[in-house]
Amino acid sequence: MNTQLSRRDLLRYSAIGVGTAAIFGLAGCAPTSTGVVAAPGDGPTDFTFGSWSLSEDAAKAPLQGAIDAFAGTKNVSASTVSYPYNDYLNQLTLQVRGGQFAGAAQLDVAWLSAMVALGKLSDLSEFSTGRGYTSAALGAGQFDGVQYGLPWTIGAIGPVLNQELFEKAGASVSPATIEEFEEGLRALKGINVIPYAAATKAAGLKDILVWMQTFGSPIIKDGKSTLGDAESVAAVKWYKKLFDDGLIAPDVDRSAARTLFAQGTTAMYDDAPVGKSAVTGQSSDSGLGDKMTSMARPVLASGDTPQHVLWGHLIVVAEGEGSATAAEFAQWITSDDDQTVAYFESLGLPPTTQTALKADAVAANTYVADFTSRVTSTATSSPLWIYPGYSQMETAIAEQVQAVLIGQSSAADAMATAGAKVNSLIR
Amino acid sequence: MTLLTPEEEVTRTRRRGTPLSEHAFLVFLLAPGLLLLCAVVLYPLLRSLSTAFFDESLLYPGSVFVGFENVMDVLREDFVRLSYQTMIFTVGATVLPFVVGLALALVLNQRFRGQAFLRGAFLVPWLIPGVVVSFLWMWIFDANYGVLNGALIGMGLIDSPIAWLFETDTARAALILAKTWNSFPWIMVMLLAGLQTVPGELHEAASMDGAGAVRRFFAVTWPHIGGIAGLVILLEFIWNFQHFDTIFVLTGGGPAGTTSTFATAVYDTAFKGYDLGHAGALGLIWMLMLTVLVVIYVWMSERGDKESKSRETTGETR
Repeated sequence: MNTQLSRRDLLRYSAIGVGTAAIFGLAGCAPTSTGVVAAPGDGPTDFTFGSWSLSEDAAKAPLQGAIDAFAGTKNVSASTVSYPYNDYLNQLTLQVRGGQFAGAAQLDVAWLSAMVALGKLSDLSEFSTGRGYTSAALGAGQFDGVQYGLPWTIGAIGPVLNQELFEKAGASVSPATIEEFEEGLRALKGINVIPYAAATKAAGLKDILVWMQTFGSPIIKDGKSTLGDAESVAAVKWYKKLFDDGLIAPDVDRSAARTLFAQGTTAMYDDAPVGKSAVTGQSSDSGLGDKMTSMARPVLASGDTPQHVLWGHLIVVAEGEGSATAAEFAQWITSDDDQTVAYFESLGLPPTTQTALKADAVAANTYVADFTSRVTSTATSSPLWIYPGYSQMETAIAEQVQAVLIGQSSAADAMATAGAKVNSLIR
Repeated sequence: MTLLTPEEEVTRTRRRGTPLSEHAFLVFLLAPGLLLLCAVVLYPLLRSLSTAFFDESLLYPGSVFVGFENVMDVLREDFVRLSYQTMIFTVGATVLPFVVGLALALVLNQRFRGQAFLRGAFLVPWLIPGVVVSFLWMWIFDANYGVLNGALIGMGLIDSPIAWLFETDTARAALILAKTWNSFPWIMVMLLAGLQTVPGELHEAASMDGAGAVRRFFAVTWPHIGGIAGLVILLEFIWNFQHFDTIFVLTGGGPAGTTSTFATAVYDTAFKGYDLGHAGALGLIWMLMLTVLVVIYVWMSERGDKESKSRETTGETR
């Protein structure tokens, strides 16, 4: 081995090495965002759009078409970032927090407070005026009075049925009370289907919150969790009874429920109107769409208001490079009538502007119209959404409910534990 | 060739600098690697571990020093449960693939038609990425449309689907089975290599002395492969102790957290619970436990080296 290297050579090579590393290091560490939203008058620039819908078969083609159309009109390039729905919030949070994401991003209405807490979202107030958004829709994109999100679609999550299976079993498609509803489920079990593909996997068990509300638990009262009260415990006991009696199935989340519904293996599950395109897209039954209908969630006692949770998508803009064009894109894709109506026709996502809602294609869709009157009309935000840690709260509740379902914990103990966990996450 | 005068030699040396010593040259060669190690391993590791002493969330800016509070919380709330669950997976996913790998290695060490093909075929599960294997098993075990339930119902062995991943015991068994399928080929290959060092004459001599297959295995085969087997078991144990993907994909730590291990708990706490402090404390304790295992591994490796050297020396003097 030749070791005729002098200290001077060593110094020289080291300097070259350190210099090169510094150049690459600085290039790598250079901020990708400026932290400032460029004024709309600066001209269009390339931008990024983050979306979970791009990872879903049914939505990918129409959404990519819309992105390309906007980018083509503005003569810019739009890059996309996509993760499956269940991973999307985590990934987006990490990227926005680390300054690696700037641009427009699709957001579930439930996630707004968590994203606002990161302190990187742009105020889109100036993009929300004069576009004809309904006030309810605009409200879903506001936090502390600031318009952080432009509403893309607003609806609710409610029971979706296969009318043919209900008729075959002789079950009522509009049961007024939980008692009547349970009778219907038992009749459905008689025809060898999973009567109700309710969520039982941790990822989907947040759906049980609306049943707790149906049983009378407010979930949050005076800034404290009420979980562990008689109503929430009764709701979990009832859910466990459905599970033990085989009226709901194990190992089900929204995705599994859609597959089971598409196969005709279940008669009912909970979903938003958008679920229809996902279900019919994977079903071999070409007539399934016509058999699909919705029901108002049964109530505990006649006269109670059916409980449904609001559902919807917003577009928010994370500050940084391309954010002005991203904001224009957010405004266009959520409020351009041709675009929103075309998107509705492809996927059944109800638009959020007055004019689009009155469009023939929307008004003539009986599935969505029925869903709106039966479900969306009484929908409210989840009481947990106002807390940035809402996702962690839902996970804590889901884990406790799952412990009850597998017989590891009693409903009372599980709800008391869940309540304590939720309280510890309230800030 | 022109000879330099002493003055010229001094001038040239001055111009080129003092020659580098052997030691300094070694440091020079090691420096880039060490710097890289510090940048991509040591700093992130220390940074993550330091969060154990802070109240830090992914949702909110800033952090507050809390000393050992997070560590105490972990020891009080999670340690026993997670240690138990991690050990169930680790022991199961080490023992079962070892038994399967050893059995196959013994079979494939025999000469028979198709031996070469089978040696290659059994490697396939090892070549498939762990995440793909996990998804494959997830579809097999799915309660509502899984292949396993379909087959069992088709054969008339069960009347209604079994929720394999929704019951604690069956979920744990499913995880061990999936991991076994993925890792037995590696163990098989290592043991097969060890088996090929066993001299055939020893088996012949033992047979002539009337030793049966079991006796020959313990008296002849095992002493030759015992060292390799010990290291393979220990390595597999260490890897399973920190295994993540099969558990994450197949059960997500459920049902109700009964299959979560230190690996999945750190991820869930940091990236689902957004509680970096608690996740850092879990990671710190997990790393301390792993360190003990690594020390045992290094000690066993060194002992093996010493034994083989002493065997060589004994052989030479004979």
